[in-house]
Formats: sequence, structure tokens, C-alpha cells
Amino acid sequence: MPILRKRMAPSDTLLTIVGINAVVVLCALAIGAILFLPYTDNPFAAYATLVESSLGSWRGIGITLNRAAPLILIGLGTCVAWRSGFGYLGFEGCLTIGAAGAAWYALRPFNAEIAGMAGFLVFLAGAMAVSFGAGGLWAGGVGFLRSRFGGNEVLISLMSNYVAAFFVQYLVSGPMRAEGSLPQTPRFPLGTWLPTILPGTRGQASILIALVAVFFVWLLMRRMRLGYELQATGLNPQAARYGGIQVGARYVLAAFLAGGLGALAGLVEVLGTQHRLLDGLSGGVGFIGIVVALLARLNPLAVVPVAILYAALSVGGDALQRRIGAPTSIIFILQSLIVLFLMASELLRHWTLDLSGLRGKKGTGDV
Amino acid sequence: MLELRNITKRFPGVIANDRACLTVGAGEVHAILGENGAGKSTLMRILYGAYQPDEGAVLIDGEARQLTSQRQAIACGIGMIHQEFMLVQPMTVVENVILGLDGDIGLRLDEAAQRISALSDHHGLGIDPHARVADLPVGVQQRVEILKLLFRDARILVLDEPTAILTPQEAASLLDTLRKLALQGRAIIIVTHKLNEVMAVADRVTIMRDGQTVRSIDPAQSNEGELARLMVGRPVGRTVVRPKVRPGARILSVNGLRVLGATGGDAVCGVDLTVREGEIVGIAGVEGNGQSQLVEAITGLRRSSGGSVMMDGRNVTHATPLEHARRGLVYVPADRRHVGSIAALGIDDNAMLGRQEDFTRGWGLFRDRRRIRRHAQELVERFDVKTPHIRFPAGKLSGGNLQKVIMGREILRDPRLLVVEQPTRGLDIGAIEYMWSQLLAVRGQGKGVLLVSAELNEIRSLADRILVIHRGRFLGELTPEDADDELLGLMMAGMAAKPGTGPMPDRPRN
Repeated sequence: MPILRKRMAPSDTLLTIVGINAVVVLCALAIGAILFLPYTDNPFAAYATLVESSLGSWRGIGITLNRAAPLILIGLGTCVAWRSGFGYLGFEGCLTIGAAGAAWYALRPFNAEIAGMAGFLVFLAGAMAVSFGAGGLWAGGVGFLRSRFGGNEVLISLMSNYVAAFFVQYLVSGPMRAEGSLPQTPRFPLGTWLPTILPGTRGQASILIALVAVFFVWLLMRRMRLGYELQATGLNPQAARYGGIQVGARYVLAAFLAGGLGALAGLVEVLGTQHRLLDGLSGGVGFIGIVVALLARLNPLAVVPVAILYAALSVGGDALQRRIGAPTSIIFILQSLIVLFLMASELLRHWTLDLSGLRGKKGTGDV
Repeated sequence: MLELRNITKRFPGVIANDRACLTVGAGEVHAILGENGAGKSTLMRILYGAYQPDEGAVLIDGEARQLTSQRQAIACGIGMIHQEFMLVQPMTVVENVILGLDGDIGLRLDEAAQRISALSDHHGLGIDPHARVADLPVGVQQRVEILKLLFRDARILVLDEPTAILTPQEAASLLDTLRKLALQGRAIIIVTHKLNEVMAVADRVTIMRDGQTVRSIDPAQSNEGELARLMVGRPVGRTVVRPKVRPGARILSVNGLRVLGATGGDAVCGVDLTVREGEIVGIAGVEGNGQSQLVEAITGLRRSSGGSVMMDGRNVTHATPLEHARRGLVYVPADRRHVGSIAALGIDDNAMLGRQEDFTRGWGLFRDRRRIRRHAQELVERFDVKTPHIRFPAGKLSGGNLQKVIMGREILRDPRLLVVEQPTRGLDIGAIEYMWSQLLAVRGQGKGVLLVSAELNEIRSLADRILVIHRGRFLGELTPEDADDELLGLMMAGMAAKPGTGPMPDRPRN
């Protein structure tokens, strides 16, 4: 008597989806626990530390949110680009270019003395416009190459990441370099720093910028005409063309918006955390953000919790390294396991547990 | 020889076959007749091993067989010819025929070619084993498919809609070949929804409806009317009343339009046509003779390389689809699943495709969701679309319902000129009747219709004037009264032109 039976159609009740996701995350954590054994007798205590250090205190939450903000912004950029059928992978580059744009603006002499909330907001609006525009043009160029010449956006965007990284390396070791031994710009004036919003913690306004962006992306994709045209283009370019939508122009626009969102991730990074432009700023955030968006199924609202969970894991990982000396690579393995398991868990929705053979009476489970 | 006994096959949400039975004897041409979605294709897939039945048995020569792959089916002597041919176009006939056969590592092409020649002569197929498949006409390619099965000693030949892409003459010759093969003791199964073919060739016909085999009868003991009634489940009228409408002013005029084809040559070689108010102009032709390129050029989806398109006296040769729509030229494309609709979106979102500017508020920035919903609701009600709700994904609708959504969407735009391409391809009788009545209603409102179709019956029933296209040229204009199937068929094959009314195919034009 088979215990597993194939379903006629994949189960799509909320209970099943949440249930399956919870179960596979627990499975990934259980496997990850084995990796902790050389460092501690009780892997579950390690997990407790992980959660406690990232989400168990206001201080932890502040750090976690700081780390989540760029992930959210990159995730949003991915939602816009990928839903429009533009397989953009250049967010590392956008982040770097966006950071450079924000840094350039913050270091303008007229921003040296900013006083009061109003002054800061004016500065922030300017910095966001410069940063968004720089990243948007950076990615929009890739969109133009695709729609005008049929270039492959996946390859071009991947390669453009290196160009952006070396360009910023050039900036911080040449034109924008500060006095001193390190290749970095001078520190930004105090008035340009993102303010702390959670008193007594390091939680900055970056999460607010991210959440406002979530609202605008949601508005764009779900409520605006442009969002409809972008999604129609992504789902079926032929039908979109038939429907009078200028497919090429929509690719360029999607690339511009995605690049701008990616650039804002760079902005919160330099104005919030680093307070100066330096080499190697992105450190993979531009790719992790894509994974976050994929796990959120390109839904701009779902990007927020997924990004926070991801950030919490990496903040907790840093804490574990400090306390029990476990290398952070364990956390990377754990994150990868979770991603793999979640992707594979799609399969489970097609099966149902049939225990009738064991019990001798009818009964079906949800998994 | 072959028996399918009580076959049941379930798919998510549907029962494709419900205790279907089929008995085919040696030397018999057996037709399987049914509308789309009646379960014909599923039953045939079970027969050649692509699907496993949930219940029931396949018996060959009285012995139950488990067919788990096409290879096994071939080994049991069952061969299948799909609607789309499974031929490697750049290869020769002999290479195609031996493809997939077990044997020595070295190819013995000459031996195979000899056997192919012998088989071809024996069955009167007239195939040169060394010809490149891509160079052969469609009708001959189909004979290559038959030859492939004969080469493998198939005793049971299954053909899925074998005449769908043939000219009437090619179809007649195919049916003739099938009869001859049956006389040699093979069993031939043809899957079709064309009643005249059943009457012409079949010894027995099994009618399927809703996954069940309704009846199995000898067509000689029956008539087309009864077969149609059994197939649809209710009486159907097959004639169309085309009320007299006096054509009005000229809406569309196309002059010397040329369109480049994919291979560099002209797909459309300078054609002229006009459509007036209250008139349906039909373009008849075997698919792939330039009619798609012509329509795409007229509707702005493809650039023309010469000539002009005028709408109401205004030059719109290079207008975009949106500009055309504003002037009242709308288009129902042939490919309703990939061009006419977006499968993943709901009916509501598809109902606004092409009209996204009309359903906005807030300076055209936001979608007006209430009006979109109301519009979709109206579309569903007025055009009788059967759907659970208006957010239902378009891709999950049946062909007929999807076509109603697309046709309805374009008709609701209140156009001057409706361009429709293959509007009833693959639809069942009920849906065809409905589409025809809608097109006639549009004509009755004094609008123009440009109808492109490969179905002779459709063209003859609807069109006020018929243009036959062959290799990118019109071979003359006919009225429905002088267009009988034979003349149309000959013209579609490029073998005749109506004297005096149009250019001969070989006459150069400027």
C-alpha cells in the first residue's frame, strides 16, 4: 500500500504552502546542526544564539533591518526587471554605481553644512535622484543594447558588474581619494548620514527608504497602467506587441527602474553604514537580493519578510562566529540549503500522504 | 485486430477518457469522430504508448498489452502520424526513414533506399528516397511519414487530422492511399472532425463525446446530419443565412503591397485588395502562402517593403497597431494562445489588452480596475464565455471560449474594419457557428471584415468576394456562387486562375 499518492493538481491552500515551507526550513536547519557539532555540544543552543542575536533584542533588530534594507531594494529591482521579461543580473554593478553617485553628491561642498530635518530631506532627495539616475542609466544601457541590437542582457549585465567594480576602484584610488593610506573617499559630512530611527540601536532610516520603495513598486505593478504593460511584455512579448505596447521601450524602462532601485541599495549602504565610498562595497548583496526576490516569487510584498529572514541569518552568523568561533561559511551553507530545499519543496505540493494503508482506515495528510 | 476496452484516463480536474471502447478489424478504415476535447487525442496517445490508461486494457490480436512507450507500440505494429510531422527537414527521405531504427553502427543507406523505392512503387506513393524533405510539398511529406511506418512494418496506422493542411486534391489522394493500404489487410485509424471525410473513406466510424465513445456505426448506414448530431449531442444546422447587404464606401485599400519573407524572398509579392462597408472579403489559401505576412503588414505588426495601405483615404502603410486601432482597424490573430492573449493573465486583464489606454484614471497613469472588471463582465456575458469567474486565467480556457474573449474584445471596440485570421481553426461545431454569426453581425452593422481562412467551407459561407492566394499572389477574385470546392482547390494549389479577373501566377508585375 503506497503511503505517498500523487495529487491530481498541486495543492495551493495557504496551510499547505506555509506548512511545507516551515517543514523544509526546519529540515535545512537540522542538517545545518551537524555542521555546528565541532564547535559546540548543543547545536540547538547555537540556533538559539543565532535567533537571539539577530531578532531577540532591539539592538539585534536594528542591525538586522540595516542589513535587510539593501536586500529589499535589490529584490524589488529584480521583481521589476524579471517580471518585465528582462533577465537582469547586474545589481552588483548598480549598487556600486549608485553608491558612487550618492558619495559624489554627499561630498559636494554645498552639502558640507546641513542643518535640521528639512535640510536633510532636501539633501536626501537630491542624493536619491543622483543615485537612482546613475544606476538607472547604467542598467538602462543594457536594456538599450538588448532592445536595439538584440544583445543578451544576462551576459552583458554580468560583465558590466566588473566594469562598475573597477570603475569605483579607480575613483577611490584616483579622483575621489582622500588623504591617507587607504583607497577610499573622505568621510561624508555628519549632516548627510542617515539618521537612526530606533533609539538606542543602530537601526537607520534605510529600512524606511526600502519600505517606501516597496509601496511604489507595488503601486507600479498592481495598480498602474505601466505595470500592466511591463508584465504583459514579460509574459508574452508577441501578444504585447499585438496589443500596441512598444516592447523595446518597455525593456529599456524596466531596466532603468530596476537599475535605479539597485542603486538605492548602494545609497543606503554608503549614507547609512560606511559613510564613505570604498572598494568592494557590495560583497555579493547584488546577487543575494536576486535570490531573495526569487524566493518571494517576484512578489514585491513578499520580498520584505524574506529579506529580513535572510538578513537575520547573516547577522546571527556573525554573532556565532564571535561567540563560539564557528566560521560564517556555516551560515552560507545554511542559507544555500534553505534556498535549495525551498526550491525543491515545490515538488511536495504534488503529493499527498495517504496513511490509510497503515491504519486500515481512511485519512489523508496535507503534505 | 485491435481492441481498446473500457479505457479510463483522468487528468487533474477532468476525465479525458471515460470507459472508452474501440474495436478495429484488419482491412478496415476506421474513423474516430469527435469535437475538440472529446478525448480523441488522449485515446490515441494511449494507443501508441504515450499515456498509460488508469483503467482498461489495450488488446492486440486478442492479447492484452502494456504499451509504455512509442517504441513498444511500433514493436506491436502500431504507428502514429501526428498532425505536425516528425521529420527532420534538412535530411533526405532515406535518412528520415531509418532515423531511430536499431541496427548496425554503420549506415547502409543504399540498401534502405532500395527498400524505400520498392515500398514506394508498391504502394504508389511516388517518393524519391534521396530527395531532401524540406524541398517536398506538404502532401508528399505526409506520404514520407506513411512510408516511415510501412518501413517498420506497422499493421495499424493512426493518423491525427491527416487532411488539415492539405489542399482538397492532396486530401483526396491521401484518402485513396489509405483505402489501398487497408485493402492489404492493415488497419487504418483516422482521427478527424470532418464529416465528409468520414463519409468518403471510412468503413466504420466511432463517435466520441465528453470522453466517452458514444456509438460505433457504418457510415453507409447513416448520413452527415446524424453523425453531426451524435458528435455534438444536439441537432445542428450547417447552412448559414447571409442576408443581403449593399456594400458602402471603401474602407481599406491595399495597393501593390510587398512583404519580405523570412528567407529573403518576397512572402507577399505586390497585392491589391479593397474592403468596403458591409462586406466580408475572404482570402483563401493553404497556410504558408503569404497570407499571414499580408495580414501582419496590414495591421502594423510587420513592416512592408513596398506598396501602400490606405484606411478611409488616409495613408497608414507604416502605422503602429495602436494607431490602426484608433482609426478603427482591429485584428483577431490566428494564434490565439500566443499572440491574441496572455495565457497567464486573467480574462479581465486580457479584455484590456490593446486598450490599456482606455481603462485608466489619474492622468492615464493608473488602471481603472472597476471599469476593467465591468468591461470584462460585459464581455463574458455578451459573448457567452463559459468561465468560473472573470479573473480565470485565459490560458486555461478552451479554444472556443478563448476565441470568444478575443473576438468579443475586438468587436466591443466598435471597429470600422475587423481583420480575422483563421477564426475557427480547431474549434468545434458549436463555437464555429457562433463565430460565423458574430462575423455576419459585424457585416450587418455596415462594417468591413477581412477574413483569412484555409477552410473552404468557411470562406464560401461567409465571404462576399473571395481572393485566392498562392505563393504571395492573388490568383483572381471569385464570388461565392462560382467558387466550388474543386475550382478553389485547384487555385489554392496554384494550378488554375480564373481567367480575366486577375493576374496569372507567372506574369511579372510592377
